[in-house]
Amino acid sequence: MAAGEKIKAKIKKNLPVRGPQAPTIKELMRWYCLNTNTHGCRRIVVSRGRLRRLLWILFTLTAVALIFWQCALLISSFYTVSVSIKVHFQKLDFPAVTICNINPYRYSAVRDLLAELEQETRGSLKTLFGFSEITSRKRREAESWSSARKGTGSKFLNLIPLLAFDKGETSKARDFRTGRKRKVSGRIIHTASDVVHVYESKGLVGFQLCSNDTSSCAVYTFTSGVNAIREWYKLHYMNIMAQVSLEKKINMSYSAEELLVTCFFDGESCDARNFTRFHHPMYGNCYTFNNRQNETILSTSMGGSEYGLQVILYLNEEEYNPFLVSSTGAKVIVHRQYEYPFIEDVGTEIETAMATSIGMHLTESFKLSEPYSRCTEDWNGVLITNIYNATYSLQICLHSCFQAKMVEKCGCAQFSQPLPQGANYCNYRQHPNWMYCYYELHQAFVWGELGCQSVCKEACSFKEWTLTTSLAQWPSEVSEKWLLSVLTWDQGQIKKKLNKTDLAKLLIFYKDLNQRSIVESPANSIEMLLSNIGGQLGLWMSCSIVCIIEIIEVFFIDSLSIVARHQWHKAKEWWARRQASPCPEAPPSPQGQDNLGLNMDDDLPTFTSALCLPPAPAAQVPGTPPPRYNTLRLERTFSRQLTGTEVPAES
Amino acid sequence: MKGDKHEEPEPGPEPAAPPPSTDEEEPLLEFHHSYRELFQFFCNNTTIHGAIRLVCSQHNRMKTAFWAVLWLCTFGMMYWQFGLLFGEYFSYPVSLNINLNSEKLVFPAVTVCTLNPYRYTEMKKDLEELDRITEQTLFDLYKYNSSNTLVAHARGRRDLRESLPHPLQRLPVPAPPHAASRVRRSDSSLRDNNPQVNRKDWKIGFQLCNQNNSDCFYRTYSSGVDAVREWYRFHYINILSRRQDTPLLEEEALGKFIFACRFNQVSCNEANYSHFHHPMYGNCYTFNNKNNSNLWMSFMPGVNNGLSLTLRTEQNDFIPLLSTVTGARVMVHGQDEPAFMDDGGFNLRPGMETSISMSKEAVDRLGGDYGDCTKNGSDVPVENLYGTKYTQQVCIHSCFQVNMIRECGCAYIFYPQPRGVEFCDYRKHNSWGYCYYKLQDAFSSDRLGCFTKCRKPCNMTTYKLSAGYSRWPSVTSQDWVFQMLSLQNNYTVKNKRDGVAKLNIFFKELNYKTNSESPSVTMVTLLSNLGSQWSLWFGSSVLSVVEVAELIFDLLAITFLMLLRRFQSQYWSPGRGGRGAQEVASTPASSLPSRFCPHPASPSSSLGGPATSLALSAPPPAYATLGPRLAPSGSMEASSSAHTPGEP
Repeated sequence: MAAGEKIKAKIKKNLPVRGPQAPTIKELMRWYCLNTNTHGCRRIVVSRGRLRRLLWILFTLTAVALIFWQCALLISSFYTVSVSIKVHFQKLDFPAVTICNINPYRYSAVRDLLAELEQETRGSLKTLFGFSEITSRKRREAESWSSARKGTGSKFLNLIPLLAFDKGETSKARDFRTGRKRKVSGRIIHTASDVVHVYESKGLVGFQLCSNDTSSCAVYTFTSGVNAIREWYKLHYMNIMAQVSLEKKINMSYSAEELLVTCFFDGESCDARNFTRFHHPMYGNCYTFNNRQNETILSTSMGGSEYGLQVILYLNEEEYNPFLVSSTGAKVIVHRQYEYPFIEDVGTEIETAMATSIGMHLTESFKLSEPYSRCTEDWNGVLITNIYNATYSLQICLHSCFQAKMVEKCGCAQFSQPLPQGANYCNYRQHPNWMYCYYELHQAFVWGELGCQSVCKEACSFKEWTLTTSLAQWPSEVSEKWLLSVLTWDQGQIKKKLNKTDLAKLLIFYKDLNQRSIVESPANSIEMLLSNIGGQLGLWMSCSIVCIIEIIEVFFIDSLSIVARHQWHKAKEWWARRQASPCPEAPPSPQGQDNLGLNMDDDLPTFTSALCLPPAPAAQVPGTPPPRYNTLRLERTFSRQLTGTEVPAES
Repeated sequence: MKGDKHEEPEPGPEPAAPPPSTDEEEPLLEFHHSYRELFQFFCNNTTIHGAIRLVCSQHNRMKTAFWAVLWLCTFGMMYWQFGLLFGEYFSYPVSLNINLNSEKLVFPAVTVCTLNPYRYTEMKKDLEELDRITEQTLFDLYKYNSSNTLVAHARGRRDLRESLPHPLQRLPVPAPPHAASRVRRSDSSLRDNNPQVNRKDWKIGFQLCNQNNSDCFYRTYSSGVDAVREWYRFHYINILSRRQDTPLLEEEALGKFIFACRFNQVSCNEANYSHFHHPMYGNCYTFNNKNNSNLWMSFMPGVNNGLSLTLRTEQNDFIPLLSTVTGARVMVHGQDEPAFMDDGGFNLRPGMETSISMSKEAVDRLGGDYGDCTKNGSDVPVENLYGTKYTQQVCIHSCFQVNMIRECGCAYIFYPQPRGVEFCDYRKHNSWGYCYYKLQDAFSSDRLGCFTKCRKPCNMTTYKLSAGYSRWPSVTSQDWVFQMLSLQNNYTVKNKRDGVAKLNIFFKELNYKTNSESPSVTMVTLLSNLGSQWSLWFGSSVLSVVEVAELIFDLLAITFLMLLRRFQSQYWSPGRGGRGAQEVASTPASSLPSRFCPHPASPSSSLGGPATSLALSAPPPAYATLGPRLAPSGSMEASSSAHTPGEP
């Protein structure tokens, strides 16, 4: 204990803790202004004349304000990016190319499943539009189908009836199955009243979807009967196909050997083994070139059509589903390896009996992620589970989000997207009213009401292939004959002579091997920011970090300690008066008060009052100097400062 | 600082009469008595680093010289750097930013045209004569027999041919191998669309003359098809301008031309499109333009989230010699921009499904000093005849039309018609063709100055289109599709596949690129750089400059006061003058010590500089401890008013 006291005393002696530089705030300010290195402050004190001083105050304050404003601008623009564009010339990796037939399944294979649906579609076409088959062959088939299905009744129309709306009255609709008018309750969506009077001759066609308890229904109407039939057909089609197993679906669709008649890449022959299959719910079997697992990515040595991918596709037009797809051709999508091809959203269609040349130009973009922009490299930070086995992209995120919402709201998964864990595809056996739910949800999704668009972030890096397509008639009249016969021989699978409208030629190639990279980099570094801030501080006030520390010391620490001491003395004095009032010894307190009143430094009186009190805190003692000493110290501070100012003048 | 601020309200009423207040408080402005004193004060208190050494170290010549050289060097360096910085700033450099944004997009306006300006049956009456003469010409020049009736009446009507001006003629070309030495029919021949045709020794064209036939030239073409089409078009324009009635609108467009229309899987209605008539491209329907009640938005890319149209493209009622193309023409443009079908259209093939995928790109330029662009076209010296948003095309077309009206006195039919001007027609303006082709030539070689007058807009949005084609309808589905179309839309065409076309327009991706410019040197960075340089070489700041300004002001004021005093002492009576001088002198003398000095006489009398400053700043503490004892008053107020009672 004694040793501790000793050390304490030693420390006190060697490192005396003094209070602030001046006893009062005003003196402190004065002291600061005279001694600081910051320009302007000194002038406030040393200038003569009130106007002059006022002006200097104004100048200084303006400079401070300017510094704050400019530094705020600098800091706020810190997170900006600069963009550099580089053009490389190098051997480029060939992208993955996914090719699909527009028609998902061979109609002959899938017809058994869709027989009832086709029958009813034709039936409703007949009742709706008085449509009768033109082709004799077709009619014969249709008759045979209709006779076969006579007894079963129309279960599809029962489920979701097609309705025709008479003009002007949208609440009453004619049911095509029964022919009687029925009252349509509930909301009518998509019926624009001004459409109705456009068509003098015809009504609208649509169908009604209801929720589980049939309390809320929505009627979907179409201005064109073609669209109405197709949508209606598609709904039922999805219901039916949802119940078919994946293997069966793959078998029903086209095989690689069937779809790809010839294949050439970079001047060398390739075949179906270079393609990987991927099954798309709406497009059937699609084949991706240059996307094989555990194999090196192919690259082209040269630009130009000779060195790209050349394939001849066999698209058997006769096997097309008449109601599901109305156009003929194939879809091609160019994408990154291991990226999911959204063939339904972004595909380039190619035509039969044509040679389509697609020239590519590669652009790579790299963005800076947080805090520069809101983008993400992978699934980290995105609150959506990935249902695709592919790398992150905005599209995948949006679709995953929708599928998750679908499972959550409707209890089953939508047919055209992969299955999340523990969910089933929607079909009307298990989920009788999923369609209403789906339509509502999809509408909300398209209008951005589900919040998927805000949850999903864009990807930070992406490759983009700009495509330029050109078309040429193929095969030419003179070459048609031999070409078709040779191709028929090549294509061993099909036992019939190829027709030129069943074939399409596709060439995909790099236009040149220039690759454009757009790379973002931070425009500002911390050094730049500091030097700019330093420049601002120097420009207006010749201030530096040291003077900022000075300001903190003087304006915060010292001022606060002065105020705190003042308050402490006041409190003590009050306490002393309270103690004194019961005790008769009054004389010390008026003495202290007198002292306090006549001098502005509070140390003197309070110290005496503190002295008169027995429980004076020991901690305060070093901070409060002796009363007489105080005035001396005041003088000393000023004289010391004075000599400081003198020095530059003399030397 | 706070104590000083308390004084602020006081000087307000005072400046009017500073001298009387001197004896109570410190004055509003006070000046030093001599230059020496002033410099002393400046040297003691300035914050300019080099200057202190230069001016204030007077004891050592060597030192002074050294500091002067150093000061000049740094001064020179600083201003050299300043010059570089300012030069960089005032060259207004821009840096290019590429932002890749990804958000919901406003679907652009889509204009679809029929490619058939008028139904032939309606125009037949007007075109009858022109058609007959064209056929006659075709027969004369190429021995082509288009209709049987012509042969029968050809001979009889030969004389009628002269009723149309500017007949098509076959023109011999004397020396085809040497293009340079080719002799032209007229030395004012402007266009020669036949660079190398060696096979034939003639070209075909028509003659255009000015008002009094003093100057003529031939517009010649190497291909007869071009010549006939151009010639026909020229006459067709005249006929059109003669038709004063507004072109017949096809009210039931949605049913007759557009069979089906869907956006985002939702059927369109009449409010979604507007209609206008183009003299060459026929009826045009603009979807989703600015008067669409709520603009279409794309929240998702893909075919299903775009515009899907089924169009009628039959050509049974086309004008045979004018329309050589069949199909439809589509154009994608911004909402508030007019559709220039000539400039950026896309033709649709009949019997095909055309899928057009778009990607958006925006360009933002910095206007003003940074580049030559215009924010809204109000500062471009060309009247906007379209009444739409400013684009460069709008401006150029308006510029041409304005020149056309000025030079030729009539308006070209393909551009908008200003009020009070009629369209060109050779019956009224018989030399407009001459004038037009001359003007066209001047326009393309930019002698009209349209391309320099029309500046780029600062904000531009472009849509890059790429198309894919597939056959539509497919063989298996065409039966019911055609049946449905014919039932619903009264669609009866013999060659069915060529009568319909399908169009899908959609966003390929919601990512869009914004190329924007930003100033690479902003005011803030310029100031920062200036400040860095200043601090580096000089260690002074803007406030130091104010100090120097104050010094100069003081110098001037003191000089003025001294001159005044001398003037007074010289020309006034000694008594009065002395008193006046005393007054001037006493003003600062009485106030000067009020702040610092307890001895009123010392600052004016003492000459030693350092001593003065010592005396100036040293006394206050002693004074302060003295002061309150004389007047024991409130504890806190005493501090702020400490000076006031202390005035002797």
